[in-house]
Amino acid sequence: MLATLLSATLVALDGRVIRVEVDVAPGLPGFTIVGLGDASIREARERVRGALRNAGFVHPPRRITVNLAPADVPKTGPAADLAIAVGILIGSEQFTARGDRVALIGEVSLGGDVRAVPGLLPMVAALARHGVRRVVVPAAATQEARLVREIESVPVATLAEAVDALRARRRAPPARPARVELAATAAGDGDASRLPGPAVAGFGLQPGIPDLAEVRGQVEARRALEVALAGGHGLLLIGPPGTGKTMLARTIPGLLPPLADEDALGATIIASASGEGPIRGLIRRPPFRAPHHTSSYAAMVGGGRSISPGEVTRADNGVLFLDELAEFSRDVLEALRQPLEDGRVTIVRAGGRAATMPARFQLVAATNPCPCGHHGDADGSCVCARGVAEAYVGRISGPLRDRVDLWVGMPRVPPRVLVAGPEPEASAVVATRIAAARSRQLARQGRRLNARAGGRSLRAIARLTSTTAGRLAALAEHEQLSGRGTDRLLRVARTIADLESADAVAIEHLEEAARWRAPARRPLTALAV
Amino acid sequence: MLGVGERPDAARPLSDDDRDALAVLLAVHGLGPLTLGRLIVRIGAPSRVLEVARSGGGASAIHEAARSPGGDWASLPKTVAEGIVTAATTTDRILADVRRLELRVVTPSDREFPARLRAIEIPPAALFVRGDPTPLAVQTVVAVVGTRRPSEAGRRVASRIAAALARAGATVVSGLAVGIDGAAHAAVVAEGGRTVAYIGGGHDRLFPRAHERLAAAIVDAGGAIVSEYAPGTQPSKGTFPQRNRLISGSSDAVVVVEAGARSGALLTASWALEQGRECFVVPGPIDAVASAGCLGFLRDWPGAARIVAGVPQLLDDLGLPAGAALGPVRSITAGDRIVSSTVTPVSVAALLVEADPVQHAVALALLAGATTVDELVAVTGQTVAAVLGAVTRLESRGLVRGNGGRYETAGRLAAAPAPAA
Repeated sequence: MLATLLSATLVALDGRVIRVEVDVAPGLPGFTIVGLGDASIREARERVRGALRNAGFVHPPRRITVNLAPADVPKTGPAADLAIAVGILIGSEQFTARGDRVALIGEVSLGGDVRAVPGLLPMVAALARHGVRRVVVPAAATQEARLVREIESVPVATLAEAVDALRARRRAPPARPARVELAATAAGDGDASRLPGPAVAGFGLQPGIPDLAEVRGQVEARRALEVALAGGHGLLLIGPPGTGKTMLARTIPGLLPPLADEDALGATIIASASGEGPIRGLIRRPPFRAPHHTSSYAAMVGGGRSISPGEVTRADNGVLFLDELAEFSRDVLEALRQPLEDGRVTIVRAGGRAATMPARFQLVAATNPCPCGHHGDADGSCVCARGVAEAYVGRISGPLRDRVDLWVGMPRVPPRVLVAGPEPEASAVVATRIAAARSRQLARQGRRLNARAGGRSLRAIARLTSTTAGRLAALAEHEQLSGRGTDRLLRVARTIADLESADAVAIEHLEEAARWRAPARRPLTALAV
Repeated sequence: MLGVGERPDAARPLSDDDRDALAVLLAVHGLGPLTLGRLIVRIGAPSRVLEVARSGGGASAIHEAARSPGGDWASLPKTVAEGIVTAATTTDRILADVRRLELRVVTPSDREFPARLRAIEIPPAALFVRGDPTPLAVQTVVAVVGTRRPSEAGRRVASRIAAALARAGATVVSGLAVGIDGAAHAAVVAEGGRTVAYIGGGHDRLFPRAHERLAAAIVDAGGAIVSEYAPGTQPSKGTFPQRNRLISGSSDAVVVVEAGARSGALLTASWALEQGRECFVVPGPIDAVASAGCLGFLRDWPGAARIVAGVPQLLDDLGLPAGAALGPVRSITAGDRIVSSTVTPVSVAALLVEADPVQHAVALALLAGATTVDELVAVTGQTVAAVLGAVTRLESRGLVRGNGGRYETAGRLAAAPAPAA
């Protein structure tokens, strides 16, 4: 007999509804799955076989053919396991499901347990869009599935529970408490019903995120970080090892305001599709991604058969931190070009399949000034051959340079500042200012932070007077800034003005912003190596 | 006829043919000024040497022509003779290089040829000059040389000395190397002064390549890049010491800023003593690697090598107005010769008279040795934003410069003496 059920698979960040057709027919015993499945779908045969037996059902000694339709959508992952197993039970008439359009998502274990799968949220959403009213989901991911309110999610922990739920058509049993997962890496920090409150309300630091109060000295870099985060500007920290570049960057998650509803939903979908672990609600903490400098091209932009999101997408609406920027491979840095310019990344796979994923991240990077790290140190301890330092930072190519609004040197902190300097501000204080500056920008110019303001809109929001415009022109001339460099300076100045709640950019804002301009033409005295 | 025995400054300038021929002969590997001089004495003008080489007799014809009747000099190496024959057939390529690189071939018979170089033991047969060599004809020419791996302090001292010399109207000569040489050239260019760099290879083999922009800036500012070697000559271990004799030879004095125990700058200093030039050495800490050579030289040549006790003192020792260490100089020039310099000493107070209080505080803190914003904030008690803005204003006026989060005084502020506390 033929059983037809619904399930879903994941293509990039989108769920796609698939039909699982199971035909259990007389003939030589066999089990075939067709329909453009990947290796994990072929392996579903073994999982389903074991699950059926160990859950007390019979794996029928008949000819079983499973077709996953539509045939042109490539299916990946174990999400269809549960539908296949239930389809065999229906097809071999071991039970009868009530109602039509039965949808199931979940991986089955050999023991008959139902396990969570990556991408549950977009898959459930796809079923809801398809008009499905009820979906069976892994109990461990109940909260994630229930983020989609338009569909009833029936949590099941085992194959037997799934059968019960479909047979009885009674109300779903109360959800079991989610299992404790060992790797609770990325989790939501608010439930779906929580409304976005005041920007920093209820926003405590999570363990593992350093507080700015722990960073001593480096007041210039701290200030630059505050400005960068307030306006979404690209930031590059340059300095010898041990001056706190990485430490400073690691405080970023504690400084950013929580995401608004729409962005939070996007972040949650990306986290779900990336398989970042149990999702307990909408993710409101902006992502902070810090891929290692040996990361591959595919890890950075995304890829694989199912086109899983890469770091640029996982950092969407958050910060992509590239430590040791100059050590990244050239290919990987070049791949950042499109996301930096368009805020999205397009991946084309063989066969003409393409997927576009969002990648509106803020770039924060850190680098040593040269391979040994000591170029420019006061004690002259650099051991690199001459010219090497220039070539080292020269690896940071055009498109990347253009997206870095703030270039900040981090020299060694003098011991007396480390020991006796003033008590540094805590993250909570700085975060309040950043949140206030951001809400000013959003109220003024919509969803766009100053870093994305360009051309005429930039002039409009800067509200230059003849005096300030004259100072900007003088600074641009003195520093020999290009048109683009001048815009960068103005954008940063606009953010500094926002931090001070000033309506118009003033001369002191321009002068402070000028400190962090890109090293354009080097001054004559710096011509000598 | 130009010969080694004659004092060439008395001679007429060479004809264009001879000048071109000289350039071609200098491109022959292994043909130095001594051998070339003898060859010209035996055979005649440079163009005549090439004629012989083209005559069909090949290398042996050169040998034949070069043989002296007395038999005292017949040892022109075979490879050199063959090189001359090859060069004679490829004159166009060599001359094309000279033109492409916009070089002038200046010979001792030319008025622009540095007069001081005529008097050294083995003057170059000709110089390939990019830019204007007349700065070498001013009243005082001082070489500033040192290690390729200086400390920050050494680099700063080199810059201050070179800038002060430039303000005092002296021409600074150096070797375009990385480190002290580069700092000295760059400081002069930043002052708008003229400086001359002697390089140890052909102009198309500029070394280090990282200094190509510095070289262009030197030429743009009215200085020159000078080489004894024809285009195509690779700089090597052998050429640099030879080049050093020109650096000392075209100067009245050599200042060694920092030199390690085996630094080439010590060789320049030795040349200076041999050529009867003044030799000044900047002393350094006895445990500083970059100063080991300086201290060793002072110890080896007591009485001959002199100590640089300070920038004004150095200017004074050189017979230059010591006030140039403090501020800009107005030079009165006649044609391309500086006839007199007047100095306007500029005090810190005068420099900062237009400065607002924050700029004032930041400038004084920098003069007192602060380098980072951390220190500036601690010393001035201002906010970070205020300090950063003040640094930009000072920078706009050329009084401060920053690099990698470190700031220092620049220009006239750097040259000004620190005010009494």
